[in-house]
Amino acid sequence: MIVCVAVVGHQNNPLYIQSFTKGDDSLLRISILNVEGCSYHSLKRHHIVHCSLDVVDERVNNPKKSGLIINETFLGLLNPTENYKVYGYLTNTKVKFILVTTDLEVRDVDARVFFGRFHTAYVDAVSNPFHIPGKKITSRKFAERVSTIVKSFGLSSGG
Amino acid sequence: MEPDASIETSSMIRVAVIPISDVTPLLFRDYAAMLIRHHTVSLSSISSFYTEHQKSPFAHQPWESGSLRFKFILGGSPPSPWEDFQSNRKILAVIGICHCPSAPDLRSVADQFTAASKTYSSSLVQRCFAFCPVDSQLEDESVKGSNLILFPPADRQTQEFHLQTMVQDIAASLLMEFEKWVLQAESGGTVFKTPLDSQASLSSEEVIKAKKRRLGRAQKTIGDYCLLAGSPVDANAHYSTSLELTRLTADFFWYAGAMEGSVCALLMDRMGHKDPVLEDEVKYRYNSVILHYRKSFIQDNAQRVSPLSFELEATLKLARFLCRRELASDVVELLTATADGATSLIDASDKLVVYVEIARLFGELGYHRKAAFFSRQVAQLYLQQDNKFAAISAMQVLAMTTKAYRVQSRASIGPSNDAGQTHADGGKVHHHSIVSLFESQWSTLQMVVLREILLSAVRAGDPLAAWSAAARLLRSYYPLITPAGQNGLFGALVNSAERLPLGTRCSDPALPFVRLHSFPLHSSQMDIVKRNPAREDWWAGAAPSGPFIYTPFSKGEPNNSNKQELTWVVGEPVQVLVELANPCGFEVMVESIYLSVHSGNLDAFPVSVSLPPNSSKVITLSGIPTNEGLVSIPGCIVHCFGVITEHFFKEVDGLIIGATQGLVLSDPFRSCGAAKFKNVLLPSITVVPSLPLLVSHIAGGDGSVMLYEGEIRDVWISLANAGTVPVEQAHISLSGKNQDSVVTVASETLRSALPLKPGAEVTIRVTLKAWQLSKTDSDAAASKGMPGSSVRQAKDGSSPLLLIHYAECADVKGNKNLCLAREPETVSAPPPGRRLVIPLNICVLQGLSFVKARLLSMEIPARIGEACSTQAQLERGNTEQVNGSERHADRLVKIDPNRGSWGLRLLELELYNPTDVVFETSVSVDMENTSNQENLSDNISAEHGEPKTRIDRDYTARVLIPLENFKLPVLDGSILGNSFQNNGTSGSRNNSFSEKNIKAELNASIKNLISKIKVRWQSGRNSSGELDIKDAIQAALQASVMDVLLPDPLTFGFRLAKASSGDINVDREVKSCVSGDSIIAHEMTAMEVLVRNNTKEAIRINLSIACKDVAGENCMEGDKATVLWEGVLSGISMEVPPLEEVKHAFSLYFLIPGEYTMLAAAMIYDANEVLRARARSDALDEPIFCRGPPYHVRVSGTR
Repeated sequence: MIVCVAVVGHQNNPLYIQSFTKGDDSLLRISILNVEGCSYHSLKRHHIVHCSLDVVDERVNNPKKSGLIINETFLGLLNPTENYKVYGYLTNTKVKFILVTTDLEVRDVDARVFFGRFHTAYVDAVSNPFHIPGKKITSRKFAERVSTIVKSFGLSSGG
Repeated sequence: MEPDASIETSSMIRVAVIPISDVTPLLFRDYAAMLIRHHTVSLSSISSFYTEHQKSPFAHQPWESGSLRFKFILGGSPPSPWEDFQSNRKILAVIGICHCPSAPDLRSVADQFTAASKTYSSSLVQRCFAFCPVDSQLEDESVKGSNLILFPPADRQTQEFHLQTMVQDIAASLLMEFEKWVLQAESGGTVFKTPLDSQASLSSEEVIKAKKRRLGRAQKTIGDYCLLAGSPVDANAHYSTSLELTRLTADFFWYAGAMEGSVCALLMDRMGHKDPVLEDEVKYRYNSVILHYRKSFIQDNAQRVSPLSFELEATLKLARFLCRRELASDVVELLTATADGATSLIDASDKLVVYVEIARLFGELGYHRKAAFFSRQVAQLYLQQDNKFAAISAMQVLAMTTKAYRVQSRASIGPSNDAGQTHADGGKVHHHSIVSLFESQWSTLQMVVLREILLSAVRAGDPLAAWSAAARLLRSYYPLITPAGQNGLFGALVNSAERLPLGTRCSDPALPFVRLHSFPLHSSQMDIVKRNPAREDWWAGAAPSGPFIYTPFSKGEPNNSNKQELTWVVGEPVQVLVELANPCGFEVMVESIYLSVHSGNLDAFPVSVSLPPNSSKVITLSGIPTNEGLVSIPGCIVHCFGVITEHFFKEVDGLIIGATQGLVLSDPFRSCGAAKFKNVLLPSITVVPSLPLLVSHIAGGDGSVMLYEGEIRDVWISLANAGTVPVEQAHISLSGKNQDSVVTVASETLRSALPLKPGAEVTIRVTLKAWQLSKTDSDAAASKGMPGSSVRQAKDGSSPLLLIHYAECADVKGNKNLCLAREPETVSAPPPGRRLVIPLNICVLQGLSFVKARLLSMEIPARIGEACSTQAQLERGNTEQVNGSERHADRLVKIDPNRGSWGLRLLELELYNPTDVVFETSVSVDMENTSNQENLSDNISAEHGEPKTRIDRDYTARVLIPLENFKLPVLDGSILGNSFQNNGTSGSRNNSFSEKNIKAELNASIKNLISKIKVRWQSGRNSSGELDIKDAIQAALQASVMDVLLPDPLTFGFRLAKASSGDINVDREVKSCVSGDSIIAHEMTAMEVLVRNNTKEAIRINLSIACKDVAGENCMEGDKATVLWEGVLSGISMEVPPLEEVKHAFSLYFLIPGEYTMLAAAMIYDANEVLRARARSDALDEPIFCRGPPYHVRVSGTR
């Protein structure tokens, strides 16, 4: 099951983070006085996404060593963290998509398909003339579309 | 678990270093540092201290290349339960450190040391190093034989050498002890136990099992000692045996231990040389180690002890061994496994160590975010231990994470931030601040970190750290914090500040946000102008420093436009406007805020300000420059919430830019309703030495001068030098609109007053003449009413500006020495000059308004008489006399009755007075024409000088200006000389002139004429001026200019002929002439008609004379002729020579008394083109008809 997807800008700024576990979606406005009480899980997801950037950065900066083929956007498994697996995807504009899942077995095909759709959705979202590049994506339509994609994760290829 | 564990740890001899007696921590650390340097002692160096008592068990000891390695544990450590398992965990030696001056009794020192070393039961060698003994202590014999070693006072180098020797001695002793121990262990029946082995009930079966295992364990331990003794080959042999034995006995734990030892031996053997094959071997063996540690897990005693920590430690050891970028994925895997395993660790401190190690290893790999994540875990573990020291540790660990989360304190960034650039985007280098803006969007994480720092700092009792964390939290994340949370932070700030000493500085600013608003320009009284040393008028080349930001002349300099330059003067207060914003829900009391001047040449004055919730304010910060040079003002020093912080403008600018790009949560100024962001660049500010300062004020108040259109008035401006340096150069010039309204400026007065000493004052006079309001102005004035228009006028900037450029050092005199001394050396520009701008606030009110001008003609027929000015008289040059006498006789007669005023033109000006005062106007003509000046001016004064026309408010009046006078002087006056007269008979034109030339000449003449006509007015006692009506006159004259100015080609005149009437009649004739030229009926009256040629060519004419009665009937012809005549009256052909007169005499006999009119007319034959042009006739053969003015003849009845 996908627990979290994230879009991270080319300067490693978070553009969109969405958790798919119950009850902790409102992460952006956290009262400082009760951070833990409100969203321990989402905080953890934030940490996972944030930490995975280390690996993405490394792959971006040393594409040869990490065996990244040019024009290959799918970064593969970034790191297994505790109970999660983190997959990454890098667009030509250095925007990163991060997928956090609890599935132990994820086929690369599934992840690729997922990221392909996600990328399309992202492109549509930022093509909105009212979207300011670099700002967080607030489009509700994008959110809906993402949750559809998340729901269909793994189903297409029979997984 | 132990921190810093690595594979090599197995080969390190653990030495406890403990302070004995009174050693201050600082000294202890100092001595320990000296000791720690000797962590590796080569075997070759200790051979002199080594004596082989018996056959050494370390057969393959590499005496040449090997070494012993120490691990000094400062302060010692309690014994580990796992000592038997890993001998390197034992404290094998104890070193006491004693500072003799603070411990006089060496005996007691020795005793204390002995007691202390007793607690380390496993220690084999004990030494106590006593530093800096005094002489008496050196001579103290009582401690001989104990472990006390005195280090005589010496320089550092000697002491270190001494210490090295002692460490080598210890190493040799240890080596000998190891040999002893190994020999013992091989023979004896030592039992090796670990907490894993169940101790409670040893069943017989287990005892047998333990005995079986003993051998393998013994071999492993001997291997450990071999490692410690620096003999890897021996160690390897023992480990191999042990591996065999432990495998057979299924003693997995010890098997793993032996395997670990063997890897260490392998690495030692290779002497740190790494190659892929070795790495693979190590990896392989360590994986097996980890596996076996895991196998040794026994469910029974899982609650009490677990080999898990060994498993994790082995994993970490391997990770550390592999820790390189190229193997990052392997390491990450290992570390992730460790982190997973750590969750099931029982011992909190073990967990702590694991997380610390993980964080360190991630950091080494360059995975800063992961390192930060685990550091935060560490901090949380620390925070779980509820004590101050743990809190301090937590705080410090968290402080390390701040860099990864981009929330670091400004103090930790440091002044010269080399690490400020980071490679985030494919190797592209971004400046730190930009990247931090981007990364600052991980607000959720950042807030948590800052909050934890705040918590730990509060718990650790570090108010400054708490303040700093709260400040960062509040400043960066206020939009995400609820008002209650903001208040909580406010409380945290205040509480922390209470614990801080007064005047504490913190590098992290809190609220308010401060940005540069503007630099107020110098008031126009204080403008500074760069001097152009190359020019006499030094102000000309230099661009003015204001008030005009854009001048087209500076357009060519591209640098000028983006970097503003400011000049400040030593000793003259300056002001900077800054804007403060408080976007939070509580009131911010800024106790003081002042400019932060890094260059140190400005005295800044603090200001106190209070910002209500969600508000912004623009405040003025001022200061006085103290020294010349550059001034840099990067920000403000703010004393707020009890702490002094420095707020940089640059940071807020970055923040605001970030806000516009959506990178930052919110623009604090915008959210407070401040005006839109203007990007204010920090100008480069130069302070120059004191300059003179002129201050002006206009006598009678600095308000605007109210003038009616055309009014002329003097204004007195007093200039005072308010500076401390004399003014030695000054120059007055004009600028702005309506410059011609300044008639004169008494610049001489100012020049003569130079040098103007400080405090001196000079008053200069400026004569102003109000300009004409334009049409729109007057319309506006009419619609708005007077006061409104006057205000607008003053603001319009339509007033001229008086510019006074002045400077301290004249080129020639004055501070010449100073100038000369400076110039050759530094070639620096002379001190700048200044410019004083005095706006002459002229408020022009609408005065008399000109309604229209009309040209009127007046036709008064002349009377025939003898006194009619004759050509003869004129030629004799007695015109003046005649005119004068006439005038004296009757001043009011303005028209000569003998001449009439046929064709007299009057310019009628209609003037309207819309003001609320009374105007009096008078017309004057300024004649400076040389030849007839006297004549005309006399005339004019008589005719127009005296009477004034009064125009009441809201009334219209007409002013008449006779133009007749201008007929003669304007045309060919210079050619004709004196040959013209008042009656309009003038010299002619130069026929050779083409028409064009004539026109040009005419235009010039008209202009000349117009400029001479002046309509002056006066209102009240001190308002007087002149009406500007040139255009109006010109417009009025344009149509009939020819008629006004050009004389007719022929002029006709009648007079009574004296000569013809004979001598008898002389008396009467004269009498009649004098008495009014009366002609009596029934008498023969001799008359002459005079025809004058006004051209330069002879004209042939056909003259005819007519006489008409009152009814206009020709009375000389027909049946009822009432006048008889003698002589020829019609068809008189004659030729008039150029510029001469021809007489034609005739006589009339009037039958009936009454009024008659004489008319002369002539046909011109063969007219030339000039005449044609004058007559406006086109046809060549058309005769030109000339008619003279009518002359009245009054015929009285018989006496």
